[in-house]
Amino acid sequence: MNRFVEAVSTLENRYIKDWKSRGGRVVGYTCSYVPDEILHAAGLFPFRVRGFSAADTTIGDTYFGPFICSLPKCMLQLAGEGNFNFLDGIIITPGCDSMRRLDECWRKAGEDIEGIVPGFFFHFGVPHKFTDYTLKWFTEETKRLINALNSHFGADINNEQLSESIRLYNRTRVLLARFDSLRTRKDPPFTGIEALAVVLAGTALPKEIYNAMLEEYLAEMNDAPGIAGRSRIMLVGSANDDLELVRIIEGSGGLVAADNLCFGSRLYSDSVDENSEPVEALVTRYLSHNECPRMYGDYKNRLLSLKEKIESAAIDGVILQNIRFCDLHGSENGLFERDLEKEGIPCMRLEREYGPLVETGRMKMRIDAFLERLGRRVVAP
Amino acid sequence: MRKELKEYNFDWMLWNAFASAARLKSGTEKEYQNTLKYIPYFKGVVEPIMECGEPGRKFLEMSAKYLENIVHAKERGFKTAVTTFCFSPAIFYAMDIIPVGLEVISVMMTFTYKRGTADFLDFCNEAGFTETSCSSQRGTIGAYLAGVGAEIDLIVTDSPGVCDTNANAFAFASAYLDKPFFQLDMPPDLTGERSDEYHREDYKALIKFLEEHTGKKLEPEKLKACLDELQKQDNIIAELEEMARIIPSPIPVVYNLFVYASRFLFAGMPECTLVLESMLKNASENAALKRPGLKSGREKIRAFFCYIDHYAQNLQLWQMLEREEISYCGNILSRLWAENVPHVKEYGKEEAAYSVDTASIDSMINTLAGINSRMPMIKSIRGPYDAPNMWLEDTLALAKMYSTDVIVYNGTPGCRNTWGMVKLLARDTEAAGYPTYIMYSDAFDERVQSWEATEERFLEFLKVRRII
Repeated sequence: MNRFVEAVSTLENRYIKDWKSRGGRVVGYTCSYVPDEILHAAGLFPFRVRGFSAADTTIGDTYFGPFICSLPKCMLQLAGEGNFNFLDGIIITPGCDSMRRLDECWRKAGEDIEGIVPGFFFHFGVPHKFTDYTLKWFTEETKRLINALNSHFGADINNEQLSESIRLYNRTRVLLARFDSLRTRKDPPFTGIEALAVVLAGTALPKEIYNAMLEEYLAEMNDAPGIAGRSRIMLVGSANDDLELVRIIEGSGGLVAADNLCFGSRLYSDSVDENSEPVEALVTRYLSHNECPRMYGDYKNRLLSLKEKIESAAIDGVILQNIRFCDLHGSENGLFERDLEKEGIPCMRLEREYGPLVETGRMKMRIDAFLERLGRRVVAP
Repeated sequence: MRKELKEYNFDWMLWNAFASAARLKSGTEKEYQNTLKYIPYFKGVVEPIMECGEPGRKFLEMSAKYLENIVHAKERGFKTAVTTFCFSPAIFYAMDIIPVGLEVISVMMTFTYKRGTADFLDFCNEAGFTETSCSSQRGTIGAYLAGVGAEIDLIVTDSPGVCDTNANAFAFASAYLDKPFFQLDMPPDLTGERSDEYHREDYKALIKFLEEHTGKKLEPEKLKACLDELQKQDNIIAELEEMARIIPSPIPVVYNLFVYASRFLFAGMPECTLVLESMLKNASENAALKRPGLKSGREKIRAFFCYIDHYAQNLQLWQMLEREEISYCGNILSRLWAENVPHVKEYGKEEAAYSVDTASIDSMINTLAGINSRMPMIKSIRGPYDAPNMWLEDTLALAKMYSTDVIVYNGTPGCRNTWGMVKLLARDTEAAGYPTYIMYSDAFDERVQSWEATEERFLEFLKVRRII
């Protein structure tokens, strides 16, 4: 477990340093709609950009306006402080409006702060619905990305390499599905903090190393003693890569036994078809992935999928959190609350800021109250 | 929500207010003046509009007609579609669907009521919709979520890819009310074969959706009539915009509001054309007499609003502009991208413009896709602000063309998209020599910052920068 935690507790972890020392290049991306298999096929190190560890947002606030989600502000803060200088490239998507504007804010900050803008800077357009013509657009956009990577990094991404990367990534998905079945057990062998660390590490480690670590970990966990007697919580909503948020929940006696987060289980929920033409298979998997409310008009399917997860993980209560100004998750949380409560599933909506947890006391108090409501509160030792 | 607000449908009440206002000038001037005494709270809206003469009266008639259509849609056998200001309603009219434009109705309410749309804004929160979402949609959708408006059949938007908070409001309403939903999605690039094809295919899918839910086929003759009317409107707007370049500007400050409101309400319909024709007549007279559009007859400075206006009660923004003798050079909402408008010709931006072609059903659908993809906001804030054909390029081009002394940004705190880049935009426009003021108010919700405070800060900016 320590290796997972170590990998996600520093931005430029030792695997990245090692990779770079061997002349390898690292390309960051901001959203789970980027098919990072492509980066792997190009011989690059794909790294999911996070806002973790930003101590303040002074640089973020200089370029972004005030009514913007604190996640991209924290990312910009880290970029401005030079914490992402190890990146050789960055791919920014219109995942949401706050995140898409990281494009301009990062570039413009680069005019004031030398050396913070990676040499490869790519705006990757991802449609907001899945149809034949949006798929066509997304295929072309993906090919545009491939060409740009080939041209900038001197790579030669071909079908064979892509197929190999797809197989490797699918292996990760299979392993994480096994990991999920342990997590949703009646007495899971690890906490929600540990679970988040394990999943997050997949976005910050070379896949080959990650898969090996994961196999080893799963073997260990198969016979490990389980955790029982805690209220089983599902964490839903805005992006969360912060172990501390989960620590607050679990510190109050809950156990985050499932999630529906883009830094969590949404990452590995569907595999890529290994029998189709690789680009076609990739774009189909990524665009048909409707679990983010950025894919408008698909609420009913998301509700259905959430209910299935709640049932299979025997969830006692759902924490629907959103970062302030994240209207997509914030509003959908309102609908989830209405529809889940109707079916007797207790829910709590929690608005928060990303980054330094300055409001821990407030959140802890509300979570405590929610756990009391669940009626099975166990005071943490 | 307050109990009394549930007594009558909000759109019915609003319709009655506007219908009465539109009739005020049908008697003698003495009768009109006497009536104003009996409407102390509504007088502040009616007077500045009626003072514009015939265009003002026609504008009120048009607004009343729009509301009447919504209120009586069902009994007249029409389907209704909740939609957005940046979606051209021409297709709805061509298919006998009554559009319910959320933002324009929010404007009507904020102009009319001291409380604005506060109760409906707040009801959205009760329904689970975030308070940080854009107030322009929340102000009206709250009423429909609360069930105090006309019956809604469909929900259609075109802001995905452009504005999350806008798109999300429609997606939320669709899920909350369980109504059919269609989104026109916008790619980050405006021009090029890929984008053209995307816009076109998406629009075809929209027509299929509308046909499916109304049970009616799109009739080419009806569509052609709408597009012919729309082209007539484009020509008038092009003439008005050309005249706005004259110093001093012969265009009254409130005309800009009339232009975009008319188009948002009745694009492709004679109701809009009538208002525009009347405005053109007055503006042409002003121009011929070299008479400024400002009531005082003096133009101190010229202001360009690079986003939207402020809709505080009683048209206070426009009253301030009159008082301070500031000519209004338009905003992002009033700039249409027909191939014949002056800014397209001036900068050779034909590739970013649309043209109207009614030769066949396919060419008409292409035209509609082109119009829609170039609607205000849809055109210029979809991609990075400094990309070709986007916000910065448009703002600088228009500021230069209309000899602007100051650029003003005003929006809503819910506008995630522009707040993500407005500081960068202002830095660039300042560097280009245009003093740029960012208003931190909410165009639709005075509870965020009162109009009085907004005005004071703006005027302070003008003084500090020695613009006025």
